[in-house]
Amino acid sequence: MSADLPAPSQARGVIGLVASACTSCMICVRECPTWCITLDSHTEQVDEPGARRPRSVNVLDAFAIDYGLCMYCGICVEVCPFEALFWSPEYEYSEVRIADLLHDKTRLGQWFETVPDFEPLEAGSEVKVKKVPR
Amino acid sequence: MRTVDAGAWREEWAAARAAGAHYFDFLTAVDRGDRLEVVAHAVDLGTMDRVLLGTSVPTRGGRLDSISPLFAGAAWHEREAAEMFGITFAGHPDPRPLLLRASEGAPPLLKSTVLAARVAVAWPGAAEPEVRDDGRRTGNPSRRRQRPPGAPDDWLEEGP
Ligand code: SF4
Ligand code: SF4
Repeated sequence: MSADLPAPSQARGVIGLVASACTSCMICVRECPTWCITLDSHTEQVDEPGARRPRSVNVLDAFAIDYGLCMYCGICVEVCPFEALFWSPEYEYSEVRIADLLHDKTRLGQWFETVPDFEPLEAGSEVKVKKVPR
Repeated sequence: MRTVDAGAWREEWAAARAAGAHYFDFLTAVDRGDRLEVVAHAVDLGTMDRVLLGTSVPTRGGRLDSISPLFAGAAWHEREAAEMFGITFAGHPDPRPLLLRASEGAPPLLKSTVLAARVAVAWPGAAEPEVRDDGRRTGNPSRRRQRPPGAPDDWLEEGP
């Protein structure tokens, strides 16, 4: 972030992904009004010691947000039931080629590293508190 | 908001203006299905009294008297509402399209207008998380196919 123009900590700059928390439930993909989230996953059987049957888990193969389409509404961040999406105030990612505004799982994971701890900036905002996993 | 007859729209605004609401703020429309609701707002800057009037016209071929002769600032708003919702503002001093080319098709803000970009692009939400490599779904087979929220039912018809 530019040192001379820091954005407020709750600014909607860019969305960070915690891939390990994402269950590939598709809720964010389906709720996004601009259809700018794409997700690819497959199911794996996991043997757990002591369990009678292997358990099916969804494995996230790909997750991308197209910031050329995103309108920063925040619906994906709000609807995610598994706290896998977070706003970061980082905003400097303009590109010369529009295709480069497609941020993949790796890039979204890097953005997550920039998510600040929640700061109650206004009265009543505590209800929106979301613990940032570290 | 006070709802008035479409036929009395200009008279009502003439009366509001004569009573002091000189400052025109906005005019827009909302697609309610069978009717378009048209809403406009003006303010008396002396008293800060606000006037918010609404009326409705048919969704297809709606006509309303222009209030631009009363409020010059309404001209752009009416031009925008005209091209976005297909309303004709009778007596508008300059009814050219504001943002779109005149040749462009159905009014884009009508709910019945299907956006070309939406038809050309596959909905990313159609994928099921539990589809296996062989393409069979392992989830409850009776589950309804997911559809994009808000999209008309006849959109995105899928193959067998
Ligand atoms: S902020 Fe809104 S538009 Fe952007 S990815 Fe999330 S739901 Fe989609
Ligand atoms: S809503 Fe959350 S858990 Fe579900 S797919 Fe989106 S990011 Fe993953």
